[in-house]
Amino acid sequence: MSVATEVPTFLPRDRFDDLLQALAAGGRRVVGPTVADGAIVFADLERAADLPAGLTLATAPGRARLEPLPAGPGARRTFQYTVSGEGIKKFTFPSRVDALSMTTDLAGTVRVKVEAPAEPVPLAVVGARACDLAALAVHDRVLIGGPAVDPDYAARRSDLLVVAVECALASSTCFCATMGTGPEVTTGADLVLAELDDGFVVRAPSAAGGRIVESLGLAPAAPERVGKAAAQTAAARVAMGTDAIPANARDLLLANLEHPRWEAIAERCIACANCTLVCPTCFCTGQTVTSGFDGVTSTAARTWDSCFTDGFTQVAGGNFRPRHQDRYRQWMTHKFATWFDQFGTSGCIGCGRCVAWCPVGIDVRAELTAFAATAPAVAAVPLRDRGTLQPLAPPAPDALDFRRATVVSITPETADTSPLRLVTDDPAILAGTPGQFVMVGVPAFAIPPISISRYHPDGIELTIRAAGAATSFLTRLRPGATLGLRGPLGRGWPVETAHGRDVVIVAGGIGLAPLRPVIDAVLRDRAKFADVRIYLGARTPRERLFVDEIEALAAREDVLVRVTVDRAGPEWLGRVGIVTQLFKTVRGTGTDATAFICGPERMMAATATTLGDLGVPPEHMWLTLERHMECGVGLCGHCQFGSRFVCRDGPVFSAAELGDDLRREGL
Amino acid sequence: MDVAVRASAAAATAEDAGHGRATARRRPRVGVVKFASCDGCQLTILDVEDHLLEIAERFDIVEFAEATSRRSSGPFDVLLVEGSISTPEQAVEIARLRAEAKLLVVIGACATAGGIQALRTAAEHEAFRAAVYPVPAYVDSLATARPVADFVQVDAELRGCPISPEQLVELLVSLTTGRRPQLPDQAVCLECKRRGIPCVVVARGLPCLGPVTRTGCGAICPAFGRGCYGCFGPRENANTAGYAQALVTGDAAAGADGRGRDPVDVGRLFAGFTGATQPFRSVTDSLAGRPPVTLRPTLASPPETLRAGPPTWGPAPSAPEAPSAAAAKEAPDGPRQ
Ligand SMILES: Cc1cc2nc3c(=O)[nH]c(=O)nc-3n(C[C@H](O)[C@H](O)[C@H](O)COP(=O)(O)OP(=O)(O)OC[C@H]3O[C@@H](n4cnc5c(N)ncnc54)[C@H](O)[C@@H]3O)c2cc1C
Ligand code: SF4
Ligand code: SF4
Ligand code: SF4
Ligand code: SF4
Ligand code: FES
Repeated sequence: MSVATEVPTFLPRDRFDDLLQALAAGGRRVVGPTVADGAIVFADLERAADLPAGLTLATAPGRARLEPLPAGPGARRTFQYTVSGEGIKKFTFPSRVDALSMTTDLAGTVRVKVEAPAEPVPLAVVGARACDLAALAVHDRVLIGGPAVDPDYAARRSDLLVVAVECALASSTCFCATMGTGPEVTTGADLVLAELDDGFVVRAPSAAGGRIVESLGLAPAAPERVGKAAAQTAAARVAMGTDAIPANARDLLLANLEHPRWEAIAERCIACANCTLVCPTCFCTGQTVTSGFDGVTSTAARTWDSCFTDGFTQVAGGNFRPRHQDRYRQWMTHKFATWFDQFGTSGCIGCGRCVAWCPVGIDVRAELTAFAATAPAVAAVPLRDRGTLQPLAPPAPDALDFRRATVVSITPETADTSPLRLVTDDPAILAGTPGQFVMVGVPAFAIPPISISRYHPDGIELTIRAAGAATSFLTRLRPGATLGLRGPLGRGWPVETAHGRDVVIVAGGIGLAPLRPVIDAVLRDRAKFADVRIYLGARTPRERLFVDEIEALAAREDVLVRVTVDRAGPEWLGRVGIVTQLFKTVRGTGTDATAFICGPERMMAATATTLGDLGVPPEHMWLTLERHMECGVGLCGHCQFGSRFVCRDGPVFSAAELGDDLRREGL
Repeated sequence: MDVAVRASAAAATAEDAGHGRATARRRPRVGVVKFASCDGCQLTILDVEDHLLEIAERFDIVEFAEATSRRSSGPFDVLLVEGSISTPEQAVEIARLRAEAKLLVVIGACATAGGIQALRTAAEHEAFRAAVYPVPAYVDSLATARPVADFVQVDAELRGCPISPEQLVELLVSLTTGRRPQLPDQAVCLECKRRGIPCVVVARGLPCLGPVTRTGCGAICPAFGRGCYGCFGPRENANTAGYAQALVTGDAAAGADGRGRDPVDVGRLFAGFTGATQPFRSVTDSLAGRPPVTLRPTLASPPETLRAGPPTWGPAPSAPEAPSAAAAKEAPDGPRQ
């Protein structure tokens, strides 16, 4: 057995084919840079002759053009450029992979299966740069670092051999030296090549790399070759400089979320999404569902998506980031600010792809520098303390699994809303907590997130409003059908924190559904709480949910219930007006109260304001956010709300945790 | 986002088409008609080889000039309409057909945006006629060629010149399953990048309408090293003004000399197949120094969500008693899947 060796060896240029053969041993697929379509494209690499010999890639904002190398001894070099438009992401995280298959038999038994990736083909990537490896490390953190694990990425990552190339020059768009990720290759590679005119200085930092060097029988590199290689990389570092972006970029952005510059950028940015799709760390995906005409089988493919699209934040009834400026702000703050809160690293590794491949040449470095010029002094923004209530779970291999539950009854409550009573003996579902939700899978449909609206000893209830295609379908199921459920997911209501305190529950419309388990929990342990008050709002009397249940509650001595509607009909004798007006009528909603609030976001913000005025401390006001969700487990990126993932850090947050973001437009 | 499909009509269709149930239901009656157009979209319908048989099994195609000589006057459960409305008779005919159709789906750039013949909306109609026809008086045409939605309520649209066979199948599948058709409204660039096509703007300095055009074609033109012509029409929130500006200044697709493009050329770029849509037309007008015109949005009906029919799989409505948790447990592959 050979071991990793740091003694540099030399691979003469005419022996590069031997290296490729050694890599391909045992059926390993070898990919690397080739020339196609007027660009450098990573593809299968069979011979050294496939490499872009004698070419360089001249990049500038909005430009990446192949050009011949100047005549001279280095004119036949094959790696004399930096990064191409696509990195190695297309191999480790392809743009489209099968993620789920869903079937049902005619009896309505639904099966949702997480697709196991096809037996991963062992892969060797030739020509990855230092920044590519840094990006790979970021993806490792995001996609397999927990709490959920992307099975396809995990499989592709499990047998990857990396032959890195140390950059001999820097492009005008490169800024790895600023981001601390290059140009020297320090970690993550099995072999590291530094190209000279007549061949390559080879290092083998891993055992696998060492074995390849050994099999090739390479001689140690002469010290002058090693020195020359180091000198050209050092020169690349100097050429880039180390101050491409302001050092306090994160603080700058977070302190200037309402800066007029966002609007100015949005006039130039065409929201084409190219910057996100070429970025080697962007990981956002959607589920593309395809089905046959009968709707009994379907597959969902995990497909690259981008926060620059309208559909990204679309929910039934509206869009959270309608404007280009909201989307640009999401992109830039995610890369340079909130990524730190989420994953403990920068989301940008300085490859410059987003600069070169932006069709209109928007340069993130220039934009960040412009921010620094207009808002020079900002205080450091502390990293968000995530998971103060429940620590983040470690990576769970079964986090994506769908469990099964059977519909036993569907009883319409209003014209469009029906509770589904489900039975299951799945211990994980039964062990859910108030405020958690499930992703509901049936063949042919997108997988919507639905809150658990009651726990029973033998199952749960879901209260579903027919807001779109999937939810309409679910409310029309017949008893006996089974559903696939991913979950219970997320951080629910911290009911225990209200022990010994007054409890204020405020629900608007369907918002009562996720709060019902809170009411259940409070009543079960009634003695542990002081006063309990429930305020309910509905648009019209007919749209009130669980009317009988609420009347029974109202009849109790130990619970106060107030109901209001926006618009009354002739039959309505109760209150009319918005729910916040109800508090004014009640004494004692103050510092000793813990509030649990769910409804439309504006209603929750208004409620939080009113309750705050009455003295309820923000850390005792809990509300649950709604965002577009595709995965429910922190992998798809859709549900981001500033630095938070609503699916895994919430959906329940305290008003203190949300701060100003609760009222921020376009987040 | 996505396509709008009117609630009641779609629900009826979903029920009619049946899904994998033994019970035979009436197949929905489908018609395909055309107005001012080239028939290319109709031909696409014949192009969905893999699905053609199944479509014929599930839908009753009662009117389809390109494929059969059968003629039917309706009523139609689904009517696919190709072509723009460019003569007074056509305006009358589309109103009649609308009354006959539960679900009216416009297909192709002509029907959704006016098409290439709508170029005349930005020109002098009489001068055009005189230039093209020897005896213009014989030709009775409206001063504009307009999308179908300018005349009647439209329930759904398939974009493109021609439409994409995959999107057509997706729309038909959505009708039989009740699911939301996945017809993304995002830019062509996303598909271009997913396919790994090097951007022709950045790598070759070619102008490309991909960033402001709706995806659906699979980024065919960039795949062949050319810029997108915009045949799927504007994407959601297209920032055409910003893009046109960048092409003029040279921030986008600059030539080897780093210079931008002649505004007249940029204007022409936006005046193609779907040039008569508001986001494209306003660029052409402003670059040509013409006063801006206000066009109607291409989709006349406000986007509504597709409503599913009741599921057709699952226990029959009369299912006696529901299985218990124990029954679920006995299922062959267990509760955890
Ligand atoms: C944590 C959470 C809990 C929820 N609990 C309930 C509940 O108990 N009862 C209920 O009726 N509704 C609930 N919703 C809203 C519900 O998820 C949406 O109404 C539903 O996703 C709409 O899906 P659709 O396919 O019917 O509509 P479409 O508009 O066709 O949506 C297609 C897809 O877009 C996404 N999407 C659309 N709207 C939303 C949305 N509002 N929130 C998140 N993703 C969305 C989903 O991926 C969905 O599958 C909840 C949402 C969240 C985020
Ligand atoms: S943000 Fe831009 S420079 Fe940073 S890693 Fe992504 S593509 Fe590269
Ligand atoms: S949300 Fe972040 S990771 Fe996702 S596409 Fe946008 S910038 Fe990239
Ligand atoms: S910054 Fe550039 S690449 Fe990114 S969305 Fe805007 S225009 Fe497109
Ligand atoms: S070639 Fe056109 S469609 Fe493709 S990424 Fe570039 S601008 Fe977008
Ligand atoms: S990350 Fe996918 S829903 Fe939250």
